[in-house]
Amino acid sequence: MECLENLFAEPTRRDVLRWGVACGAAGVLCDSAAVAQDTAGTGALEGPKLEGVARHEALFWEELADRKVKCTLCPRECEVADVERGYCGVRENQGGRYQTLVYGALCSANVDPIEKKPLFHYLPGTTAFSIATAGCNIECVFCQNWRISQFRPEQVPSRHVPAERLVGSCRSHGSPTIAYTYSEPTVFYEYMHDSAALARRHGIGSVMISNGYIQDKPLRQLCRHLTGVKVDLKAFTETFYVDHCAGELKPVLETLETLKDIGIWFELVVLIIPTLNDSSDEIRRMSRWVVKHLGPDVPMHFTRFHPTYRMTNLPRTPVSTIERCRQVAFDAGVHYAYAGNVAMHPGENTYCHGCRHELIRRVGMQTASNRLKDGKCPKCGTAIPGVWSQEQALAFSPRS
Amino acid sequence: MATQHTRRDFLARVGAAAAGVALTGATAPGCSDQPAGTNKRADKLARRVVIARDEKLAQGAVDEHRDLLRKLLNGSVQRLTGAPDAGAAWRGLFGRKDRVGIKVNTLGLSTQPAVADAVVAGLRHAGVPAENIIIWDRFDVELQRAGYKLNASKQGVRCFGTDAEEAGRGYQGRIESSGRIGSCFSRIVADQVDALISVPVLKDHNLAGVSLGMKNFYGAIHNPNKYHDHNCDPYIADVVAHRFIGPKWRLTVVDATRAQYHAGPGQSLEHAWPFGGLIVSGDFVAGDAVAADLLEAKRKTEGLESLTDEKRPPVHIATAGARGLGEADLSRIERIEV
Ligand code: SF4
Repeated sequence: MECLENLFAEPTRRDVLRWGVACGAAGVLCDSAAVAQDTAGTGALEGPKLEGVARHEALFWEELADRKVKCTLCPRECEVADVERGYCGVRENQGGRYQTLVYGALCSANVDPIEKKPLFHYLPGTTAFSIATAGCNIECVFCQNWRISQFRPEQVPSRHVPAERLVGSCRSHGSPTIAYTYSEPTVFYEYMHDSAALARRHGIGSVMISNGYIQDKPLRQLCRHLTGVKVDLKAFTETFYVDHCAGELKPVLETLETLKDIGIWFELVVLIIPTLNDSSDEIRRMSRWVVKHLGPDVPMHFTRFHPTYRMTNLPRTPVSTIERCRQVAFDAGVHYAYAGNVAMHPGENTYCHGCRHELIRRVGMQTASNRLKDGKCPKCGTAIPGVWSQEQALAFSPRS
Repeated sequence: MATQHTRRDFLARVGAAAAGVALTGATAPGCSDQPAGTNKRADKLARRVVIARDEKLAQGAVDEHRDLLRKLLNGSVQRLTGAPDAGAAWRGLFGRKDRVGIKVNTLGLSTQPAVADAVVAGLRHAGVPAENIIIWDRFDVELQRAGYKLNASKQGVRCFGTDAEEAGRGYQGRIESSGRIGSCFSRIVADQVDALISVPVLKDHNLAGVSLGMKNFYGAIHNPNKYHDHNCDPYIADVVAHRFIGPKWRLTVVDATRAQYHAGPGQSLEHAWPFGGLIVSGDFVAGDAVAADLLEAKRKTEGLESLTDEKRPPVHIATAGARGLGEADLSRIERIEV
């Protein structure tokens, strides 16, 4: 809570310095302390009382008989009876009207390097004002942020932050971007939608760090206000999604194709878990699908798993496995394959896909040097895909 | 970490309670190391369900019938246990040192406070000190809305939600696994009680088919929203099989004073059903099986499709039966109407 209170207070010069230090520390600590990308630190189980939970009319739902509703925000399409909640635990039917319980109810806020999301081809070296509420629409048994994603709003300490305040705080802290992250932003869609629209009007971009479990219509509507997306592609088999995430692969692939169609910048993260999704065959099939359906320029980050939440019986992913997956992706035609959660590894750097010249060097989750010239390789002149300036980010509008 | 408890464990527990009365005549704590199946009476108790009705209960406010409810419940527990009087019956199930949690249901159509009061009176018959009794659910505010008077003090019968800061103390911070569920349990069931009584309402549920004694314990975990797929199956059985629930569970008292046969679990006056009774069992699967059967019969008389036809069969009851947690087969359950 202290973090939240400080972030939304008017920052002093000391705060700005402190956040700078914190961001730097995150990068340095990431590997040794097994702190993975985009984790949020928060206590859980001590939220507001139920009566203190704010309620706001939800978007994307239909009325059914007997005061039931059907939520059409994500592929789960929960049918929810009066007084009950959907699977995500943050949307509730009250008397036949569907409500979100997390509008502006922020449980995490940090100023992170954008590389921590991870987004490597999006304004490298900048920070993202990163926020989350409670809740998620799937349940990965290896979730790093389960203490917020797998809890309900009344179980997690939070603070109500109106969209105007969020945008103001982001600007005060000098971040060009708001990142909706840590838990699953789809379940706090209404707040993300409204604050991203407002942020854009104030010259601030917005990126969604998501599992990709969202329906086509809300996604298209949201992307009018976003400037980038990161999607977790957790595996390339339905079995994995069903057994370990309580979800399905197909809707995630559909989301990726929709993002491609919209034309927004997006990157993929694949958390490699020993024995479950680390076979060369699976990574090859996945990478080929990416190249064929999304194109070779979509960056793929292969990141290390560490035991957590309900998956504590498997070891950390060997670095050699990450290196192998990365090579398989390159061999399949992916232009930008990265090693994630492996500090000081050359696989964190960006190399020109034309001439292999090193373009961006990263240390931990920080950009140490950036040799790009107007988004191009200074050696061979190849245009490097990505979002390299705030003007470019804010100029984005959906193709369809 | 997976924990499964079988009907065998359950029978051992109930058997020990019955044996305590029969052999010593003294108060028996509800737990025993006695091996299962050594007491034939336990088997009978396990498959026995008492349906107690009085048409007066269906009239006026339930709260006006506190004496009648106590009488009906005492008679039911007596019939259930075969004890010579109500005091002996309650003493057969609960001991003076037990800390007993009465899990009411205050989501939507709620357990009547007068029914919880009758359960408290029974426990007092057994010599359970008032301050050892906790009436609880998830939230203070929902208990209050349902007409309960909160008492988080250490005096008298206590009543609070898991969310009560000092008393309920929230959920445990660690994940417990049981079958396919992974949940943090209420500190009330985890730390504060040795015995549990489930006091649900006889009502319809839009996904599980029915919300009865077993489903009631979704109120003991922090993430019930995660376990409503596939008609809540096998998740309900997973929850009640957990070591914080199954081994502590001694009695189910279904509040059927004001039931609801459709459009649950929220309250729907259109589908209100003044059943005017209680359904009592020491076998939590059998109790739910009989209550679900009554609800299906009522739906039929109202011209509604069966729960199965509506694609929400209460399969969790059969799953719990198949797991050995109790008797789900209606033909093997002794149904006693009083
Ligand atoms: S957003 Fe939540 S309520 Fe809506 S369909 Fe998805 S999980 Fe269900």
